[in-house]
Amino acid sequence: MSQVNNNFAAFILSHGRPNNVITYDKLIQHGYTGKIYIVIDNEDNTADEYYKNFGKENVIMFDKEQVAKQFDEIDNFGNRKTIVYARNVCFDIAKKLGIKNFIQLDDDYYWFGHRTKDGAKTTRSLDKIFHALTEFVNNTPITSVCFSQGGDHIGGFDENKKIRRKAMNSFVCSTEKPFKFIGRINEDVTTYTRLGGLGKVFLTINNIQLDQKDTQTNKGGMTDVYLLSGTYLKSFYSVIVNPSCVKVKTITAKHTRMHHHIKWDNAVACIIDEKHKKK
Amino acid sequence: MKQFDLFGNEIIEDDGKYTKKIELPLYEPKNTKPHILELSDRSKARRLINKIRNSNVSEEEKTFLIGAAQRHVIFNYNRIADYYAHSSKEMQELMEDSALVILDFEKAIELGYAKLSDNLLQTFLDEPSK
Repeated sequence: MSQVNNNFAAFILSHGRPNNVITYDKLIQHGYTGKIYIVIDNEDNTADEYYKNFGKENVIMFDKEQVAKQFDEIDNFGNRKTIVYARNVCFDIAKKLGIKNFIQLDDDYYWFGHRTKDGAKTTRSLDKIFHALTEFVNNTPITSVCFSQGGDHIGGFDENKKIRRKAMNSFVCSTEKPFKFIGRINEDVTTYTRLGGLGKVFLTINNIQLDQKDTQTNKGGMTDVYLLSGTYLKSFYSVIVNPSCVKVKTITAKHTRMHHHIKWDNAVACIIDEKHKKK
Repeated sequence: MKQFDLFGNEIIEDDGKYTKKIELPLYEPKNTKPHILELSDRSKARRLINKIRNSNVSEEEKTFLIGAAQRHVIFNYNRIADYYAHSSKEMQELMEDSALVILDFEKAIELGYAKLSDNLLQTFLDEPSK
């Protein structure tokens, strides 16, 4: 029996690849039976193909320029080919749809599953997982919670790191706890460090994971922006906002590249038990 | 050669170790109260502010730049939580207002996370092996 309800939807944020929204089918294959909406912008000249492929009632178009006025893009380059606009408009879309909770997803996820020290296990129960994450957000002061990504487990799964104060990609949100993503690119890092420093709690649950196409290899979406500027520039958006706790340094996976580095001791306030508060 | 920051913590260059302290959402404050000067490192901000004050830009510009320089103050949130636990009620309330600590009222986060973990574990166990 489905555990998702009318108060929940999955928003897939897409741009320019109506025939390659991998996440849509993968959600269903991994056991999600609830509502799915494709969120596109009015600067996407492939909108008609989205409507044709998914049905007009399941595709929601927003005004990108209008959304751009509602948050700090951090630059004045005028290049709006990034995901942050869609991320920010999701709260308004959910409210208009009468939905309290949603998960916002990129369009290039090909796997969802569990991750333990013994390895990975594909899930066919996304309904239950989404329900559990939604309950967690609704019943605690947590602002948003996310799946882990493959990169979180480089070096092997660590039993002592089941939860992290970061949040990327798959944000489970509540319209009752709205927040604004910051910056044209690297908006997830900038947001969880900036708002994390102001007392909001963003978490990643390491026991659940999604995988997506490698950055800079999947045509469309934000690939053009990354190829244009590289991850060096991208990382600097977070440094501009949080210079006291975010640095840029090299990392090496398949290739050496510049990436953000967060000094967590200096980034977010600690959560402590109420017993430490004097009466 | 090992590098240390002003708090005496070793600077670890391995990017993969940055979340080592975050095993559970909750931090347990230590039994000793740190000195208030240990809660933040103002050295870079101070250098910037001195340079701004000695510059020839307008007073309005100085005010703006000095405000921006505060972004370079490095807070040590573990020590801040330690300090909070041993502070007066008034100081605690002011620290709470500034979100320097997050209080887990009625163990909402701890219990919520425990329930989430149980639910995810049960889902994991219920999944077919293939």
